Amino acid sequence: MFHLMQKLSFPEQQELVGKIWDSINSGLILIDSTGKVLFWNEWISMHSGIPCEFAVSRSLESLFPGGLSAAFKSAIKNASLHKLPIVLSNALHRSPLPLYPLPITPLEQDRLQQSIAISPIALSNEISLCLIQITDASLSIKRERVLQSYSKRMSLEAVTDALTGSNNRRFFDERFAVELGRAQRLQIPLSLIMLDVDYFKRYNDEYGHPAGDRVLIAIAQTLKTQLNRTTDVLARYGGEEFVIILPDSGVDGARIVAEKLRSAIIGLNIPHLASMIADHVTISIGIATCQSLVNSAAADLLEIADRALYSAKHGGRNCIRQLIVPELRPDSKFAALS
Amino acid sequence: MNWLSELQIDGLTEVFNIGAGRAAASLSEIVCDEVQLSVPRLQLYNSSEINAATLTLNSLRLGAVKQRFSGPFSADAMLLFTEERALEIVHDMMGSQVSIEDVAEFEQEAMCELGNIILNACLSSIANLLNLTLESSLPSYTIGDTDGVLRGIISDANQPLMLVLHIDLSIENRHSQGLLVFLLSTSSLQKLVSHIDRFISGI
Repeated sequence: MFHLMQKLSFPEQQELVGKIWDSINSGLILIDSTGKVLFWNEWISMHSGIPCEFAVSRSLESLFPGGLSAAFKSAIKNASLHKLPIVLSNALHRSPLPLYPLPITPLEQDRLQQSIAISPIALSNEISLCLIQITDASLSIKRERVLQSYSKRMSLEAVTDALTGSNNRRFFDERFAVELGRAQRLQIPLSLIMLDVDYFKRYNDEYGHPAGDRVLIAIAQTLKTQLNRTTDVLARYGGEEFVIILPDSGVDGARIVAEKLRSAIIGLNIPHLASMIADHVTISIGIATCQSLVNSAAADLLEIADRALYSAKHGGRNCIRQLIVPELRPDSKFAALS
Repeated sequence: MNWLSELQIDGLTEVFNIGAGRAAASLSEIVCDEVQLSVPRLQLYNSSEINAATLTLNSLRLGAVKQRFSGPFSADAMLLFTEERALEIVHDMMGSQVSIEDVAEFEQEAMCELGNIILNACLSSIANLLNLTLESSLPSYTIGDTDGVLRGIISDANQPLMLVLHIDLSIENRHSQGLLVFLLSTSSLQKLVSHIDRFISGI
């Protein structure tokens, strides 16, 4: 740079500096110690509607009569008094200068969102100047919003099952722990439904995996529409297994929901010629119900629901088995209901 | 460490409190409410002695506003707040119409401004009283886990001394404690001390 400057004549140097100044994509104003404008770049001209030729050697106050915020004025004063740089954040000042988004219209416009940095510049010959840099803050605000919505989407995806769009196992684990705690605290019942598709492996073998995937999607959608309460949580537990948390549902409530689910899947009437028990897709359901939780851990209730499902599978499939805690004994008795 | 006599510590504390008062006035204008800022305590450490425990920073994450001052003596000056405090302060400064979750969007810039006001006020009052001129960089804000931020601060072997000021900031009845940290070289401290001595003997 230094080398190039030596080759250029003084007017050429001035032209170069002027062009760099005008190419910068933020506002630059240079003022002297009396507050008069020395430089005014193209960005400022465009956003203020005041051309450089007019602005130079006028004071900021006269260029923006009544338009400068008090904070901006005292910042300029402090910067030149203490010779220390000052920032005015957009968060606390929004729009200190009457600058407007492009295109500027004669109609009333909202001011441009600004972030401002004021840097005193002291030259070796004791001349002191002040450089005011203005950036369009709406860009960074927008970027921040985009990032936030992106991170929201990511956290939603992290708890969603990619195939069925249901909640995934991770979401279930978190919610189940919360609901279990709530049920214990409030001494209210809690039921857990675990279900799976009967002869699903045979279905895949008969119709192919893409068809199997479509069945899982249809089942997930149907189960979801059958759950009326917003507090009920459906999640894909893995493979062809789904799990449902029914907060504040006792023995009867959970059984009614389970029966609705079983019938709804039959109602889908998806042909399943490889099934040993019906000519359409069916599900088996296990329910674990706690009337009042004392010290039951999440794992216990899950295991009990799994045992109920196992029992439904062995009890002929397309049926419901319910286990009730804490009446449950180690040599568990089953309450067969369907 | 006996780098500073009690008299010198008192002198420095007084100078910083004048700066703190000026910063509080600027902050009050922004918040449109009374802001109080004071420097109750000042200590000098060797950087090697510094950790989260000696600084009584019991938080996982720290926010730091940094400016580099230079002149007759030079120093890296930092304002440290725990992340939760920083968010609360920005929230209070922006007014309660903004929800605390939305503050994160503005935290970086607003903290830069807050730090800038406090650091400039303290340093300019030192410069005024000691009759010297200081220059400074624009402020930058970093946020990170406490140990990482502290490691970053003390890693500069050229500045082995650390002047730590405990500050009390209260905005809208909320009390926050933070730290002002100045990293100095031995020679910069000596220059600062000799200026302080001149100031004390001049009173």
